[in-house]
Amino acid sequence: MSKLKENFNDKKMTAVIILSCLGIVSMLADIFSYKKALWYIVLAGVAGAIVANLNEKSNAIIYDMLLTDNYAIWFSTLILALVLLWFMVSKDQYESGVYNSSDNYALILFATVGALILTSFSDLTMMFLGIEILSIPLFILAGSNKKDVSSNEASLKYFLAGAFASGILLFGITFIYGSTGTFKLDKIADWANAAGSNLPALFYTGILLVMVGLAFKVSAAPFHFWTPDVYQGSPMFVTAFMATIVKGAAFAGFFRLFYTSFTSASGSWALILSILIAATILTGNIIAVYQSSVKRMLAYSSIAQAGYILLTVLLSNQEAKYALLLYIASYGVSTITAFTVLYHVEKIKGTDTFESFTSLSQTHPLLSVVMTIAMLSLAGIPPTIGFFAKFYLFSSVLKSNTSYLWLIMVSVAGSLVSVYYYFRVIIAMYGQHEPIISSEKKQIPAFYNVLLLLLVCVIIILGMMPDVLMSIDNL
Amino acid sequence: MSESIQQYIPIAMQFLVASGFVITTIVASWLLGPKVKTLHKLDTFESGLQPVGNARMQFSIKYFLVATIFVLFDVEVIFFYPWAVNFREFIQEGFEGFGKMLLFMAPVLIGFFYVIKKGALEWD
Repeated sequence: MSKLKENFNDKKMTAVIILSCLGIVSMLADIFSYKKALWYIVLAGVAGAIVANLNEKSNAIIYDMLLTDNYAIWFSTLILALVLLWFMVSKDQYESGVYNSSDNYALILFATVGALILTSFSDLTMMFLGIEILSIPLFILAGSNKKDVSSNEASLKYFLAGAFASGILLFGITFIYGSTGTFKLDKIADWANAAGSNLPALFYTGILLVMVGLAFKVSAAPFHFWTPDVYQGSPMFVTAFMATIVKGAAFAGFFRLFYTSFTSASGSWALILSILIAATILTGNIIAVYQSSVKRMLAYSSIAQAGYILLTVLLSNQEAKYALLLYIASYGVSTITAFTVLYHVEKIKGTDTFESFTSLSQTHPLLSVVMTIAMLSLAGIPPTIGFFAKFYLFSSVLKSNTSYLWLIMVSVAGSLVSVYYYFRVIIAMYGQHEPIISSEKKQIPAFYNVLLLLLVCVIIILGMMPDVLMSIDNL
Repeated sequence: MSESIQQYIPIAMQFLVASGFVITTIVASWLLGPKVKTLHKLDTFESGLQPVGNARMQFSIKYFLVATIFVLFDVEVIFFYPWAVNFREFIQEGFEGFGKMLLFMAPVLIGFFYVIKKGALEWD
């Protein structure tokens, strides 16, 4: 039997193939005029990709480039679930007529293919390809509101920062190849183990450059400068996509690389990474306090959250995988919820400032409740998933290495600061009572009410029973 | 001077002679030639006709679009080379190599179809 058929029968990479074909189908929707059915086709396709992904043959090595271990399968599933959620909440934006839904959906689907590769690579070339497949559609998507100057600006800034980061990342990969002679993650790990404590400076330099390149992609301080402008300028749901799915995939890739290849050399990068984390948490949280736009506040909050998620890379052990999965799930769902509410508030009130949330509880009680729960989850306050994700993360760091106590103290201090700006939104909604202009009473469609309630249920139910995610074997 | 560098002396001389000849002839013709500067002499020569208007005219060739499409298809065509190099092995395998190429060609053709249907090649 031919190799091509063999691969197909073995159910390898099915999700990637489905999403690529779905992207092409979505691209042609405009030409063959089935654009009205496109949303349903895409939803069915992504759902199919989730099923295919769960049935993926585990621990299959695909052309020595991808490895579908449990880590890959579960992170791909999480990312696909977030993408499915994204397609549901973003329906309104792409029906408004400003954006061409067929092209935009195609780009989103192609970016998702990159995200899937980024969770399952076993070779540095594949990691780089994954990052590029993930980023290039986003450069276009960031500028997809063609007539808006800030959207164009976002696109250019994202492109320049992204290209720069890719260059540094490639430079690092070159150094690693130069010292180890291989691109394979497990071979690099073997080489580093064999070399023991006398690793050449070339290898350290390579690790640091790769770390800087990836820190750019996940917007960790001091490489975060592009984030606020890009997040603010891009269309609302493109920002939501970047803040959740792209970031989640980038972190999955970051962790996979460092956990598989560089753990034995952790002495060389652990200190630098921990300084990076402390800087990210402090910068993100402190600057977020001074924002007047909620969208920009969420951008800085995503920088701060990137700091917490980086703790898992620092930890790089079995437990950190669970912490990472839980945190990305928690952060992803909460952020998508917050962006959905913000989208509707901006649509009703015309701006995305904190003032636009004033006395929202009177006109839109449901939106206010949903936003409150999303904010509580992002701040990490009990009945929500956000609390458990943070608690599990911090406790697993302390359990494995008490010398990181200072870092946890910084993180907790950062979380306390974050409570201030997340609660500013809640206080604006419930605190002040102002006369209501009748135009502000416009209600949102019932479909979104149901969807938002569903999201709230997910946040709270996962917060009650995080075991669902913790019970996965051998992640 | 070592022997290996000595071998290159003829080449260096060749360079010197070639460039020397060019420089000498240009400088000599400039120095020795007659210099006539009249209005008609400095005018543009176009088959004996009087030149009309400015030669600098702007017209849009949609540079970025053309460049982008060129890069796109050029990169895609590059992938044909390794396929062509391995063609003999593919023949031995039967239709698999052909199938792989078709699999690759399909997206390229769909892309081309997309470009045409979106009107990217209609310039006016």
